[in-house]
Amino acid sequence: MLLQTHQAEIETIIGRYPSKRSAVLPLLYLAQDTYGYLSPEAIREVAEILELPPTQVFEVVGFYTLFYDRPVGTWVIQVCDDVPCCYVGAEELIAALKATLGISEEQTTADGMFTLQRVKCLASCDRAPVVQANLDYIYDVHAERAEELLNNLRARAAEAKQRGVSGRFAEDYLLGPQGIVHIPRDAPYQQERGERK
Amino acid sequence: MPLSEYIIMRELNHPDINQFAVYRRVGGWETYAAALREQTPAALVQQVKDSGLRGRGGAGFPTGVKWGFLPKGVYPRYLLCNCDESEPGTFNNHQIIDRNPHQVIEGVALSAYAIECHTAYIYMRGEFASAALLLEQAIAEAYAAGFLGKNILGTGYDLDIYIHRGAGAYICGEETALMESLEGKLGQPRLKPPFPAVEGLYGKPTIINNVETLANVPRIIEKGVAWYRSHGTEKSPGTKCFSISGHVNRPGNYELPFGVPLRELIESPEYAGGMRGGRPVKIIIPGGASAPWLTAKHLDTPLDYEGVAAAGSMLGSGAVIVLDDSVKAPHVAYKMDEFFKHESCGKCTPCREGTHWLVKVLHRMAEEGHGEANDIPTLHSIYRQMEGNCFCLLGESAVMPIKSALELFPEEFEAIVKG
Repeated sequence: MLLQTHQAEIETIIGRYPSKRSAVLPLLYLAQDTYGYLSPEAIREVAEILELPPTQVFEVVGFYTLFYDRPVGTWVIQVCDDVPCCYVGAEELIAALKATLGISEEQTTADGMFTLQRVKCLASCDRAPVVQANLDYIYDVHAERAEELLNNLRARAAEAKQRGVSGRFAEDYLLGPQGIVHIPRDAPYQQERGERK
Repeated sequence: MPLSEYIIMRELNHPDINQFAVYRRVGGWETYAAALREQTPAALVQQVKDSGLRGRGGAGFPTGVKWGFLPKGVYPRYLLCNCDESEPGTFNNHQIIDRNPHQVIEGVALSAYAIECHTAYIYMRGEFASAALLLEQAIAEAYAAGFLGKNILGTGYDLDIYIHRGAGAYICGEETALMESLEGKLGQPRLKPPFPAVEGLYGKPTIINNVETLANVPRIIEKGVAWYRSHGTEKSPGTKCFSISGHVNRPGNYELPFGVPLRELIESPEYAGGMRGGRPVKIIIPGGASAPWLTAKHLDTPLDYEGVAAAGSMLGSGAVIVLDDSVKAPHVAYKMDEFFKHESCGKCTPCREGTHWLVKVLHRMAEEGHGEANDIPTLHSIYRQMEGNCFCLLGESAVMPIKSALELFPEEFEAIVKG
């Protein structure tokens, strides 16, 4: 139960707002990170913590695209297919991912590793085609990099399993002495304007 | 000519400015500290008014004037920093955070003091998880240095800043939908008036500004109104981080003074470096997906609010998408309206149904290549029923792509109808 396992964190979150209801998105994230997806039980649990009618939490889950009310793969691969991405290689990338994985959009591979989604604007049009794998941005992923992308993600999942990191959105975040530290996986922007890795 | 001193993208002057120590070394947080000790909130509001700073999120509304709408003597007040950037073509907010995070936080803090508020929330789209962590760290460093918290620097001023992550909904960038979302409800817009400055978050006076807008504030106060106004034009002072994408050689964010011609942004080797493969420009969407389209004949348009408006479009968020002649106008309209259809919150009928039917017709035409005799009048009729009738700007924005496409490239629709 979240309240037992994450009590301090939950209290901190609720303390940020004058109204408990405001904590619904952060607590849904917490539940999703913990359980892997938002089952009806998980949603009711969040409702109970926030003293809300369950329907008010169910409708929130349905409204926002980053909440999953059914099991998804270890990696949810989101590919932006908007203008301009779709004109600089996103469609080719989606086709390559579908062919390699043998699934269509919104499906999950049989081994439970990947769920593929077409999504709207990821706000990184300058480095299109762009993919968000769980919460990590991966830039300049042209179709010929599809295989490499999938292999990297598989390796990271294996590595996370070894570290015993639980929760599907948590594998890239470690708790260090200074708080949460993000392990960057993709080359950061170089300072020089316009120069790419 | 690139700027010699940047206002926002200061990593180009000070490469490690994303480090707290470096930001401090170049004078970071000093403006805020001095303002708390020496300036009244009203004096700060006046300077922002005098600077002519305009909202960078899209509307271009004068920031100081917006702040002036707060009713006197009504507290608590809230400051919301809008980082829900989710419109095709826009990508500067999270890059500003990546490169110069402390200036964003100082901007939020200084603006909070100016509007006499003690709690500020930074609403970030859910996808920006790593940018949110960066800001969390910057906020933690500011608390540790005594710039946030209780009785800041012994002045008696209290301020807390919190990050709030959305969860995937473009509509939450609309200011009243953002407040609904932050209150834990569906991100659907509220009726205006009352405007947020009067009755906003939790029913209290609230100011909502974009990341880039707030990041300007410490620089205005530090360097003065005259210095700030020496950039840009009379009515559009300062600089803008233009996000350019599409079929250009060097897509990216470029900070330029307002008023630079569109041609320079697209063609200069300092900026986007011209079109890929030297192909001709076909469509320019100058201010995010919701801006009416321009074409190659508008290349000399000055990039300021007035100039782009005079050309028949809007500067909006300064997100410039440039497409070459490999694209078909009906397909671009289809993809753009598919975005708006997906992001329509469903609250009002013209938007929910209008985007649905636009996409239905456009999909058949643009993706399947099959047109019917009535398609063109049908498309005109659908957007006319939406125009001016939607609850918020999302639906109104969805009108722009199809209207522009039909107006500028009617022959491409006719060709599909003729088969």
